[in-house]
Amino acid sequence: MSSAAAPGDVLDPTSVTTAGTQIEGRTPWQLFWRRFRQDKFAIAGCVFIVLMTLLAISAPWIADNLLHRGPNNLFIYDSLDEYGLPIGPTFEKMELEGELQHGFWFGADQAGRDLFIRVIYGARTSLFVALVATGIATIIGVTIGMIAGFYRGKIDTFLMRLTDVVLSLPILLLALGLSAACGLQKEGCLGGLIRPGLLLVSYIIGLFSWPYIARIIRGQVFSLREKEFVEAARAQGASNLRIMTREILPNVIAPIIVYTTLIIPINVIFEAALSFLGVGVPATTPSWGRMLSEASAIFEAAWWMMFFPGFFLFMTTLAFNLAGDGLRDALDPKTAK
Amino acid sequence: MRKVIKIFGIALAIALVTAACGGNGDTGTTEGDQATEDIQAGGTLKVALLSDVSAAFDPQKEYYSTTWGFYRCCLLRTLVSYPGLPGDEGGNELVPDLATGLPEVSEDGLTWTFQMKEGINYAPPFQDTEIVAQDIIRALERTADPEASANGYSFYYSIIEGFDEFSEGKADEISGLNAPDDHTLEITLTEPAGDLPFRMAMHTTAPIPEGAADGHVRDYGRYLVASGPYMFEGSEDLDFSKPADKQDPVAGYEPGKSITLVRNPSWDAETDEFRDAYVERIETTIGGTEEDIANKIDTGDIHINYDGVPPPQQLRKYQTDPELKDQVFAYPSDAVRYISFNVAEPPFDDVHIRRAVNFAIDKEGMRRLRGGPLFGEIANHVILNTLENDLNADFNPFPSDDSQGDPDAAMEEIKQSKYDTDQDGVCDAPECKQILAVTDEADPYPDQAALIQDNLKPLGIELDVKEFERTTMYDKCLDPSAHTAICLAPGWGKDYPDASTFAAPLFGAEGLGPDACCNYSLVGADAEYLKKYDYEVTDVPDVQDLIDECTPLTDEERIECWAEFDRHVTEEVVPWVPYLFDNNVDIVSSDVVNYTFDQFSGGAAFDHFGLVGGGEDS
Repeated sequence: MSSAAAPGDVLDPTSVTTAGTQIEGRTPWQLFWRRFRQDKFAIAGCVFIVLMTLLAISAPWIADNLLHRGPNNLFIYDSLDEYGLPIGPTFEKMELEGELQHGFWFGADQAGRDLFIRVIYGARTSLFVALVATGIATIIGVTIGMIAGFYRGKIDTFLMRLTDVVLSLPILLLALGLSAACGLQKEGCLGGLIRPGLLLVSYIIGLFSWPYIARIIRGQVFSLREKEFVEAARAQGASNLRIMTREILPNVIAPIIVYTTLIIPINVIFEAALSFLGVGVPATTPSWGRMLSEASAIFEAAWWMMFFPGFFLFMTTLAFNLAGDGLRDALDPKTAK
Repeated sequence: MRKVIKIFGIALAIALVTAACGGNGDTGTTEGDQATEDIQAGGTLKVALLSDVSAAFDPQKEYYSTTWGFYRCCLLRTLVSYPGLPGDEGGNELVPDLATGLPEVSEDGLTWTFQMKEGINYAPPFQDTEIVAQDIIRALERTADPEASANGYSFYYSIIEGFDEFSEGKADEISGLNAPDDHTLEITLTEPAGDLPFRMAMHTTAPIPEGAADGHVRDYGRYLVASGPYMFEGSEDLDFSKPADKQDPVAGYEPGKSITLVRNPSWDAETDEFRDAYVERIETTIGGTEEDIANKIDTGDIHINYDGVPPPQQLRKYQTDPELKDQVFAYPSDAVRYISFNVAEPPFDDVHIRRAVNFAIDKEGMRRLRGGPLFGEIANHVILNTLENDLNADFNPFPSDDSQGDPDAAMEEIKQSKYDTDQDGVCDAPECKQILAVTDEADPYPDQAALIQDNLKPLGIELDVKEFERTTMYDKCLDPSAHTAICLAPGWGKDYPDASTFAAPLFGAEGLGPDACCNYSLVGADAEYLKKYDYEVTDVPDVQDLIDECTPLTDEERIECWAEFDRHVTEEVVPWVPYLFDNNVDIVSSDVVNYTFDQFSGGAAFDHFGLVGGGEDS
């Protein structure tokens, strides 16, 4: 929060008075942190996100140095029985292609791959797609929201109707169609602009999740542009661009952070849904959604294939939601409990 | 036949099958013979199909084993047909059906004469119309019509004199087909073909009554007039007196939803030596998942999944439970499963790369991903052992320990390839990266694709695998403009018990896409064809001479010639990685008695199925 001195910040009177007899100045950052750390659930969510991120980042290292096998290595003879059904979770060492190795902590999948490695690689996919898609959504959403809220009038009407249109699109169907159209040829579509793979999925998700942010930002900007400090800046001859970026933007950082955090889990689920339906990331890229889809066929015989990816998907979305709620409460005292 | 859908079974497994299931099959057929006493007729057989038939039951277009199974057991009679038994019980041998006996052939091998039974009538609304020789000619004329037989198999009949002229519109009738009287059919050929009776057992030759197919060039299947023991429900309501576009299709077949067969009142068991037709009705649902259907088989709501495979957990349950074990049946389905290279598309235009892949693939692993040895015998060459009298049973040009792949031998081949510029056994040219591979999205193909990718990665060969619904998958493999470099999931079953059915459609110019089927490898494509579809390669291997050499031969000579052809194709041309001679594995619900396997279609023979107590309980 570099906008420490921004005039728009409202000091929470209750927190100041209850702080004790000795009144000391606190930066907004300090205020935020005091409130945020009291929210145990939000802290737990953040801890989980950090652990998850570390696990995702270190996945290749764990695969290479600790377990000596990758997410796409098949151990057909060691981890599938004679009917082709996978073995369950085991912490005992096991023989893999003639060498004694760590067991399959999360069991094997239906192709004899190590589910643990696939789950942590799946975290990479989920987080990558969710972050890129959310980044795209945020940039588009903030830009459109700012312009609409600032200029109002016809521009606002046009942009908000556009937003309504995007909101009213059958998103899943369109995403399925786009993935199918752009994902099947090596060349991709739109003259090679969009190519199959992780980024394609990220673009698609990003292109459909910006309207939420745009609407919220527009609302904020709508009221901010009438504030005195904006008037003051305008009186001093500041350009519209300068007002938007220097005066207004710093004051909408809080909602941006909050809603970005809340969009991430939606996008994690969106990626999982696309992969579940078979149009998500390529087959060699482990993805929780695809793992769940594969698991559904043999759930009776291999519960772990559904449990572990499902658990991580659930925990990830829960963690982001808790963290997002905590951030909102801490950054925007008006909604505080 | 094209598009083998079912998954099937074994090598040692044949031993295993004989022990576990064959025995059952044996008793089944023995019962079948005395059946009339033991098996109570009646009841409704409930069948599940995962997907619809390929051409809505149009007999001139259906080139699909599942439909052929329905035709043979139930809907259509041909001059000669198959008894609906496993191969080792005579299932590959022709029996007279509409004919009184097997045909007589003239000394020069060019004229064949069929005598037909008298007094056999069609199903309603043609119950008063007798099936006559002219009706077979009508069916063959329809087969010659390129529009009515699109994507069918009319090429099998080009040897009939005047067939091609009729097909091209240069003649009003096929000169080689004559009906001197209502119950005699004379067929004159342009060259001897000892397998003509087999060709006349295929259902594109089944009789069509006068007027029935008129105006139904594209959709005769929905107005099909049956001759077998069953017909579509509501057939009696078909009204052929109206103009074709005013007629309502038969009620008993709803494409994509259901197929309901009821007894054909015109069918007389006295005229039919081999169909038992115990059950009264056959209700088929289309759609659902294998798991759903497996659960319904457990509870008896469905009796059999006709085009699918038992999921592994269901198979394990039935195989390991002594009480359930006799509900599992596995028989060689006379089909090969393989990986097909496009020999015109880099890097597979280089035979060394193709050989390297043959060495590298873990065939045993491919089989385990399909469910293990019950599902078939490891294949090391193209043509089925049963069609070659086992001449190539020990032929294996790309051997490896336990068929698990030999990466070292593969690297030796890569070293000889132009795509390995530094000759270190790892393909380093850009052609080896992002290779367009196409596979089926249904289990177990995505897992098999993962195994293939894992096997090829150490060789520097990286596949970009795209998954499609099965029909689309076949289209992408067949369409030369798609430039699919490697097709991971095709299968091929025999059309009839002769090795030639593994040659021309697969490796001859006549099987090249996009209009014909099923030469996915583009072997035998000429320079003009390659140029037309934008291939940089101008010359690919051609085996047409060898095909032409074997075609006219008969008996031992013929089999030896095809075995030689098989060895040449497998080792020198290398268009495929054959990995499995497939078994058909079925699990039936406990209500079914007398399960019988039909070697012709490679699936169950519903004409021999009975239900416990005539279906009273269910």
